[in-house]
Amino acid sequence: MNEAYAEVRRRFAAAPERVFAAFSDARLIARWLSPSPDIKLSILQFDFRVGGTYRFAYHLPEGEPVIVGGVYRSIQLPSLVVHTWVIEPPDEHAGIESEVTVTITRDGEGTHLHIRHAKLTRADAIARHAEGWHGAMDQLEQLLHSPGLPPAFKETQQ
Amino acid sequence: MIHALAQGNARSAGELGRHFNSAQPTISKHLKVLEQAGLVERCIEGRVHRFRLKRKPLQDAGGWIARHQAFWTGAVAQLDRLLSEETRDE
Repeated sequence: MNEAYAEVRRRFAAAPERVFAAFSDARLIARWLSPSPDIKLSILQFDFRVGGTYRFAYHLPEGEPVIVGGVYRSIQLPSLVVHTWVIEPPDEHAGIESEVTVTITRDGEGTHLHIRHAKLTRADAIARHAEGWHGAMDQLEQLLHSPGLPPAFKETQQ
Repeated sequence: MIHALAQGNARSAGELGRHFNSAQPTISKHLKVLEQAGLVERCIEGRVHRFRLKRKPLQDAGGWIARHQAFWTGAVAQLDRLLSEETRDE
C-alpha cells in the first residue's frame, strides 16, 4: 500500500502571520478547525510548542464526541507547522497514526496555505521509535558517565 | 495466512493447519493475533471455531482518506470565513 493522504490548498487575502495565528492561537483554532459549523471543537489540551501535545474533542450532533490528539513535531513562524494526529477509541479509525504538515507561504499580498495529512507508514513508525531509542540511549550514556552517580551504579558498570 | 482466509469460506484452525502443514496451536496463536488486530473474525459453530477475513479494515484506506479530506476541506472553508470576518472588523 502506497502513501495515503488528504490534501487541501487555499489562497487567502490575509497575511501569512494571520493565517499562522489561526493555527497557533487556542482562541482562534476553536473557531474553524472542524469539518463543519455544526460540529463544535472544544480544546482539552493545547501546548503549541515542539514536543507539546494537543487534544481536541469534536462534538457531533449525535453520539459521543470524537477525540483527536497528537504532538507538535516542527514549528516555524510563520511558515510551517507539523504535528501528529491520532483519533482515540472508540472509532473506526482509532489508533491510526498520521501526520499533518501545514505550509504557509506569502503569495503577493496574500497567503497560500497547503495542508497535507498523511498516514504514517510502518517504516515511519519504526524510524520514529528508533529516534526515541537513540535519544534515550544517549541520555543513559551521559548518566552513566556523570560524576554524581551513586557508588552502587559504578560497581555494576565494572 | 490472510491470503488463505481470503480464498474461501470461514476455515477452522485445524483446516488452516493442514493447509500450511503447521501445528494447530501455532495456527491458533496467529489467528488470535489477527483477531485482536481486527483483521479476522471468529464464528463459533458448536465446538468448532471458524475464522473469516474481515474485509472492511483492509479496504479502509479509502475511508480514512475520504474522511480526512472532508475534514480539512470543511475546516479550510471555515478558516476562510474567519479570516474574512477578522479583516472586516479592522
